[in-house]
Amino acid sequence: MTPVEQIVFLLKAVPVTLAISFLSFLLGLGLGVSLAFMRIYGIAPLRYFSDSYEKFFRSVPVLAVMLLLYFGLGPLLPIFKDPFFTSVISLGIVSGANQSQIFRSAISSVGRTQMLAAISIGLTQLKALRYVIFPQALFLAVPGLGSEIALLIKDSAYSFIIGVIELMKHTDILRASQRSLILPYISSAIIYVVMTFPVANYLDKWGSRKKRELGL
Amino acid sequence: MLFLLDYSTFLINGFIITVEVTLIGVGLGLILGILAALGDIFGGRIIKIIVNVYVEFFRGSPLIVQLFIFYFTIPMITGIRMDVMLTAILTLALNSGAYQKGYLKGAMEAVFKDQLMAALSLGLPTWKIFLYVVVPQALRIVIPAWSNELASMGKSTTALIVIGVREFLNTGISITAQTFRPLETYAFITIVYFIWIYSMLKALDMLYNKIKIPGLEPVI
Amino acid sequence: MTSILECRELMKAYGKVIAVNNVSLGIGRGETKVIFGPSGSGKSTLLRCLGLLEKPTKGSVYFNGVDVYVSKQDLNKLRARIGFVFQEPSLFRHLTALGNIMLGLKHVSGLSDAEARRKAYEALKLVRMEDWVNYYPAQLSGGQQQRVGIARAISMDPEVVLFDEPTAALDVELKWEVISVMKDLADRGTTMLVATHELRFAKEVADEMIFMDQGQVLEVGSPDHFFTSPNTERARKFMAKILG
Repeated sequence: MTPVEQIVFLLKAVPVTLAISFLSFLLGLGLGVSLAFMRIYGIAPLRYFSDSYEKFFRSVPVLAVMLLLYFGLGPLLPIFKDPFFTSVISLGIVSGANQSQIFRSAISSVGRTQMLAAISIGLTQLKALRYVIFPQALFLAVPGLGSEIALLIKDSAYSFIIGVIELMKHTDILRASQRSLILPYISSAIIYVVMTFPVANYLDKWGSRKKRELGL
Repeated sequence: MLFLLDYSTFLINGFIITVEVTLIGVGLGLILGILAALGDIFGGRIIKIIVNVYVEFFRGSPLIVQLFIFYFTIPMITGIRMDVMLTAILTLALNSGAYQKGYLKGAMEAVFKDQLMAALSLGLPTWKIFLYVVVPQALRIVIPAWSNELASMGKSTTALIVIGVREFLNTGISITAQTFRPLETYAFITIVYFIWIYSMLKALDMLYNKIKIPGLEPVI
Repeated sequence: MTSILECRELMKAYGKVIAVNNVSLGIGRGETKVIFGPSGSGKSTLLRCLGLLEKPTKGSVYFNGVDVYVSKQDLNKLRARIGFVFQEPSLFRHLTALGNIMLGLKHVSGLSDAEARRKAYEALKLVRMEDWVNYYPAQLSGGQQQRVGIARAISMDPEVVLFDEPTAALDVELKWEVISVMKDLADRGTTMLVATHELRFAKEVADEMIFMDQGQVLEVGSPDHFFTSPNTERARKFMAKILG
């Protein structure tokens, strides 16, 4: 293969890497938002659950979780025999803990008085969360979510260890078939940088600008 | 999980390697991070560009790729082959340095802004200003960030399995291959990671609360 | 009378911008002089050059009659003998009020911990902050921080104290407590060079007032002179604007 063909071969795997990252981000977002609200506004058992979840999954390596689900649970629950599915789930549940922390600090930055003001005009607590607290918290969370997406794009590389055919796997295939140790790794690293750099930087700048505009 | 007792020496050795590479990686990363932050604050245009390319490369790509590059690509280009542990530690240090540069720069700038001239006006020589004014403040500002860094480096060391380092997770893989009991093995491994990393976080949190000072809150 | 601190034909430029141009002035023992003029007139830059915190582009600075940059003296030793109070209090945020003052006494003057503590306490008493010794900067008001900044400067027994608009960053109600401390110092015979817009303070304590505009000294005279009949139009206008 010519160098151009090799790079094209690597780029062909990018959609899979992005799919893993995006789907696990969505799973993490759902978990993170729910956990954050449970922790701040929930009753005691929910608070306790949310707190433990966050502490646990912020302290374990995502690769260990991935191997546990794939090799440990795979034989018992056939759904975990699918490497793509398993990597999305592993990255997602770990990301849920990170995103919970991001949303918790965003919600607490919005401030208690906003909640009081919302209730004082007659909104129920749930409606206040939906229409007053959450929209503001979302803006505040954007820079953190940007770094989280970048982190997921990088961590999705672990999926190749359980056999997902994504960018890292294509890199490995190239190394073996071309017997080249230079071009595949360097190009692949650059492709990852090109994917993560804009996400993290753009969302960080956008979030800071919005924050200023809204005076949050 | 009792069968794991047969492998206790094996597991302990793996765990020690994991802790070692984490601490050495973060420690060397601190030195690299300080140099990079100083370069970005005080350096000329060329130095700033070098620092930023370094940081973006190591922050923007997966640790796995970086390990492959240091294990395969660089020896291929330079002809210098390093021991696998040395490769692992070097890569982790460079990776950690790129992350630490970010918050060290913030912490240094927070101190440098107005107090350097005040220290100068008292007649303090530069090294005393650094020792008595910059370091004590920068330290307090970065401890929470450091605890994040230690935790994330501790978790990232699992990537070392791709170049064959016999760290903790790798011992789990070997045990599974012999015992065919992946569920218990990986569950045990995961729990040990949790206990280790969580207690590191807790300890640093306690240290921070002990030395924290009103008005010197962290930058992140 | 020979000056303790003096500059001759001092010029300071940042790139192409000339901040201070051809200024000569001196301050003798026990004198209080006030520099005033619009913001951006070069007061801060001039003071920083006199405090040896910045090196002049041209011209010379004399300390006790010796040309500082020709004689190649240890600048740090000289800086310790010139007190400086900044516009922003610039306290070290990791140290208490007492700790802020002890730092210089211990690590520059070389006093023991006990001596430094005693002396720092005395300095805080002088600025009426003796009830706040163990508070951190963030726990103090702007006026209190500035008084600690003054105590830090005078604790080193400097031969002259330079004040760079010490009340400019403070709310009106906090200004007076800093000004009254400065008045005390002037009454005690401290040698002071003060950049400030507080013209009433100047009227009460200044031996001489110096009007600066666009990097140059335009007019020098007694407070009476400036309050009754300044020579230059720009000084007259500026006085009128400040005094309302």
